[in-house]
Amino acid sequence: MKNQSKGLFSSKKAHLRFTLLLILIFAVISLLGSAGNYYNQFSNTLAKATHNVVILPKTKEIPFVLGLDLQGGTQLTYEANVANIPEADRSSSLEGVRDVIERRVNSTGVAEPVIQVNRSISGDYRVIVELAGVKNVNEAIKMIGETPLLEFKETAVATATPVKVGTSTAAAVDLQQTWKNTELTGKNLKSATLKFNPNDGTPEVALKFDEQGSTMFANITERNVNKPVAIVLDGYTISAPTVNEKIAGGEAVISGKFTVAEAKLLVQRLNTGALPVPITLIGQQTVEASLGQQSIDNSFKAGIVGFLLVALFMILYYRFPGLISVVCLGIYVMAVLAIFKIMPWWMTIVFLLSLFALFISVFRELKIFDGILSVGMFLIVFIFLGYYATTSVTITLAGVTGFILSIGMAVDANILIFERMKEELRAGKPLDIAIDEGFKRAWPSIRDGNTTTILACFVLMSFGTGLVKGFGATLFLGVSISMLSSIVITSSLMRVFVGKFLAKHPWWLGVKKINN
Amino acid sequence: MVNYQIIKYRKLWLIISGSMVVLSILALSIWGLRAGLDFTGGSLLEVKMAGGQPTVTQVQNSLSGVGISSLVVQPTGNNSVILRFQETSQEKHLAVVDALSKMELAKGGMTEVRFESIGTSVGAELRSKSFWVMFLVLLVIILYISLAFNKVSKPVVSWKYGLIAIIALFHDIVITAGIFAILGHYFAVEVNTPFVVALLTVLGYSVHDTIIVFDRTRENLPKSRDSFADTVNHSLNQTFVRSINTTLTVLLSLFAVLIFGGSSVRDFVLALMVGVFCGAYSSLFVASPLLVYFEQWQRRK
Repeated sequence: MKNQSKGLFSSKKAHLRFTLLLILIFAVISLLGSAGNYYNQFSNTLAKATHNVVILPKTKEIPFVLGLDLQGGTQLTYEANVANIPEADRSSSLEGVRDVIERRVNSTGVAEPVIQVNRSISGDYRVIVELAGVKNVNEAIKMIGETPLLEFKETAVATATPVKVGTSTAAAVDLQQTWKNTELTGKNLKSATLKFNPNDGTPEVALKFDEQGSTMFANITERNVNKPVAIVLDGYTISAPTVNEKIAGGEAVISGKFTVAEAKLLVQRLNTGALPVPITLIGQQTVEASLGQQSIDNSFKAGIVGFLLVALFMILYYRFPGLISVVCLGIYVMAVLAIFKIMPWWMTIVFLLSLFALFISVFRELKIFDGILSVGMFLIVFIFLGYYATTSVTITLAGVTGFILSIGMAVDANILIFERMKEELRAGKPLDIAIDEGFKRAWPSIRDGNTTTILACFVLMSFGTGLVKGFGATLFLGVSISMLSSIVITSSLMRVFVGKFLAKHPWWLGVKKINN
Repeated sequence: MVNYQIIKYRKLWLIISGSMVVLSILALSIWGLRAGLDFTGGSLLEVKMAGGQPTVTQVQNSLSGVGISSLVVQPTGNNSVILRFQETSQEKHLAVVDALSKMELAKGGMTEVRFESIGTSVGAELRSKSFWVMFLVLLVIILYISLAFNKVSKPVVSWKYGLIAIIALFHDIVITAGIFAILGHYFAVEVNTPFVVALLTVLGYSVHDTIIVFDRTRENLPKSRDSFADTVNHSLNQTFVRSINTTLTVLLSLFAVLIFGGSSVRDFVLALMVGVFCGAYSSLFVASPLLVYFEQWQRRK
């Protein structure tokens, strides 16, 4: 049974030419996406060498997004103690914590922090802070840890004896007092400013509440007239003035025995935020930049050596088809690297469209588009490829290992196809039919085999922690792109070279004799 | 073409595999896996001294006043030393760094290359999460295999293929874990999250390999006039070269990482290599022989 081209293309040759063009487009986009900087260098050199006769257009250079273990940095894990917060308010409180930490870290100038709030299986809230670069990490930890927890407390026992002070005079703190929390916390604080007492010139801190806070404060002062209200920072009562009258308008003044410097620091700390929930540091991971760089160098070396070993094996064992599979592997490596980065939208579209068109074209030609399993898998794979093409994949050490592993796995589809092809040739089939049959028959195995790996990748990606996620994502991209490229690119390239030469020199195909 | 009599010696292969599994289970139950930082909680600190390579005693002496428990000091060469201890608080961390920087060798400067601390609660959580993930992967794989093989029902029903693939998986995972129990006992190799990741990858790979051999059997069965055992053996021979070559390329790429990838991924890659090797072995010498046994038992009934 010979392949009859139908529909779109008048001849098999035209179809092949079209497929080759698609492969070329896909390869060029992958190259531009993955190694834009090398391309630009090449373009410069070429312009210089030809005295500005040949000027290639420049491309945008897109950097890889490296994980903290490769670029150096710190990951801090905090646990939020939400025991005192009603269930419904927990996630919004955690958002508050997130914002506060962000402002805190920014004020130290450490670097842009990446802050996530996670909920563990056991229902605990975790705040994960990632800081790129490790300078002043200890300072940052100190800052985050010191972030004030501001509380307003009222007396638990109604019979407390009022102390002689007024709202704006110095506080005499009665430590014997039993206090209980009010509904007002630092969450409702809008701003804090440094002020000086008009009477004696001592520094004071003026607080301004948000709308909700103002009402709360009015209520608290109303029910505590002639009773003290304590302003507690990080568990220490800094001031406990007695309320003279209900205070509406949402403003209050803390006057302790501050020095100007202390008052200033307090204002700064209050402004960058009072934590609505107490947090504790439960995990920390710091990698120094030099260690990260060393890991990059090591991985790079390992990647090159791995690629060369696999390439050498393929060429020595499979000869001509092996060479084709190495070309395909080269395109594959570029394509995966390109997808790791955030490609510009036009690149993403061309990348996906050319891959999709290639896939449709070859599958129609070989008539191996079978059933719901293939359709379902391709749909899912393309959706995820699209997603990863437009976002960046953070490359971690585990991810790089996953990628290098996928180089070894990527040739599996090729090996399956070539073995099948040899078998068909040994069975006495002519070359072009043997090639087509090889692809057609190897497909169900390739599909089923890769699907299980892809499913395992999805579970890995939903595992949560960064390391596992990164490995899952890279392995998924590796496996899915390798499956597409080996089927589509190898088969097309093989068919291009079917001709008199190969038919006369079966050694190149690793068999003894070819029937015509 | 050579015709390896794999099925003929099926008893031998299964005895080899069976005893490997038993040995692994013994190693696991006697020594267990050496749980690393990720699962036990604790701190790991790596520092580099400008003045030269510190010895274990030097480091221990300098830290005698800090008050940390279960301290393990491991010189790594390159003037670096790795410390592990139980306490995870930032105060202890700073105290340890401070004490180390007062050492004679640190006079010219000391770099904190790496610091990791994991609270006990996180460790326990990672442990339970790992089990769940394994379970989930297994479930998904069983579902997929029964779906992919639902058209094959003669002479062995499709779910039995799935069951055999899972037995092969179990074989691979147990042996890999067993080898790490031995490595943990004799060479203090620890098991961390990457080990779980490696096992999960092995799960995917092993099934992949088994499926490809089964696929050939599935294809050959309807048109074969030979006995079931001969058809399986024939299919095995047809996929034999492919299985060896694929495993070889995967192992080659992993080998490159093992040699050049640096110490931090070495255990991870080792787990992958052991698992991939077992996965390839089991799809040839465990899964298909079992398939033949299943068919025999079925006929006897």
